[in-house]
Amino acid sequence: MKSFLFLFIALKAIDFDLYAAEAGMPQLDPTYWASQAFWLILVFTILYISISKFCLPKIKNNLDNRESKIKEDLDNANKFKEQTEEKIKEYEAILESAKKEVTKIHFESKKILDKNIQSKKNSMDKEIEKEISKAQKEILEIKKNSILSIQKISESISSTLIESISGDKLNESSIRATVEEVSKKNIGKYL
Amino acid sequence: MQQFTVHKIGPEIKIAGIDLSFTNASLFMVISASIIILFLYLGSKNKRIIPSKLQLIAEMFYAFVAKMISDTAGSKAKPYFPFIFSLFMFVLFCNMVGMLPYSFTVTSHIIVTLIMALFIFVAVTVIGFIKHGIKYLSIFVPSGVPAVLLPLITIIEIISYLSRPVSLSVRLFANMMAGHTMLKVFGGFVVSLGVLGGWLPLSFSVALTGLEILVAFLQAYVFAILTCIYLNDALNLHH
Repeated sequence: MKSFLFLFIALKAIDFDLYAAEAGMPQLDPTYWASQAFWLILVFTILYISISKFCLPKIKNNLDNRESKIKEDLDNANKFKEQTEEKIKEYEAILESAKKEVTKIHFESKKILDKNIQSKKNSMDKEIEKEISKAQKEILEIKKNSILSIQKISESISSTLIESISGDKLNESSIRATVEEVSKKNIGKYL
Repeated sequence: MQQFTVHKIGPEIKIAGIDLSFTNASLFMVISASIIILFLYLGSKNKRIIPSKLQLIAEMFYAFVAKMISDTAGSKAKPYFPFIFSLFMFVLFCNMVGMLPYSFTVTSHIIVTLIMALFIFVAVTVIGFIKHGIKYLSIFVPSGVPAVLLPLITIIEIISYLSRPVSLSVRLFANMMAGHTMLKVFGGFVVSLGVLGGWLPLSFSVALTGLEILVAFLQAYVFAILTCIYLNDALNLHH
């Protein structure tokens, strides 16, 4: 409504130019219309050229730079994230295989150790058995030897005893036969 | 009404018998344009990724006008972006500079707004004929209208098309002038009512100043968006 009212006033006033100027609307005084139009066109042209040639490209450049920078950063961040995930997967795989390796090595070494221990034990057992049998043989020999020597000793002791008691010398062969008989009777006790 | 008078500054310049002297109106055009260029220069000087405050404001203006154009006139209007941006900034800063006390409001003069509106009108018509040839006249013949009403509608369309420069220029001029006149009237009341009764019109004055700043922005926006709409008609021929 307001604008229509002013349109009416403006059109009315253009008809009565002088009246309008005197009525107090300097806008309708045509004295400086040409000057205003001229300066408007001049100033606006300069403004338009400087804005379109210098200001706007710079601002657009700034905005584009920022946008591409943000995009680039986001892309980089995503890439790094992917890389990180890959590395983590790799790391986990390595860890997994290492664990497997460890169990395998553990198992194998245990097996080898067991085998070693077993064989060592076996050979030890054999050696010990051998030693034992050898020692038993030795003992047996010694025992036999000792029996013989005991017989001899007992022969001489008994001959000496009989000689000293009776004063007679008995037949050595009969003494030996008697001792042998006695020792044969008792040999089972010692062997 | 004294605030609207144009007076000469400096020597008289006459070219071919026409008075083209530098006036206070010219001075405030130059001041507004200088402020715009200075502001945009400072706002785009530092190519920082995180913008400074001034840079942020300049980029907001850029994004605001870019969005306005793409919303109303589509992507075909891209080449006219610098013009509409300059137009918006010029009208806005002339209005805003006019809000300062003792300054002169360039856009409160019908001749200034009429020249801008006429230029837009002529330019849009020329663009329409270049883009669509004689088919551009179909803008006056809306589709889907009964044959009986068609002559009437066409006449109305032609009148509305031809009244575009008048409505565009008078809207801006009348709004600016009415606002400043109202401020002046209330200011006069403050003086005449004195210390006792002057407080009420003074508070009105303060409120009106806020309203006028809003109007200054709104009218610049309206001027620019109507230009976009006219441009859209010329580029896309919707009817």
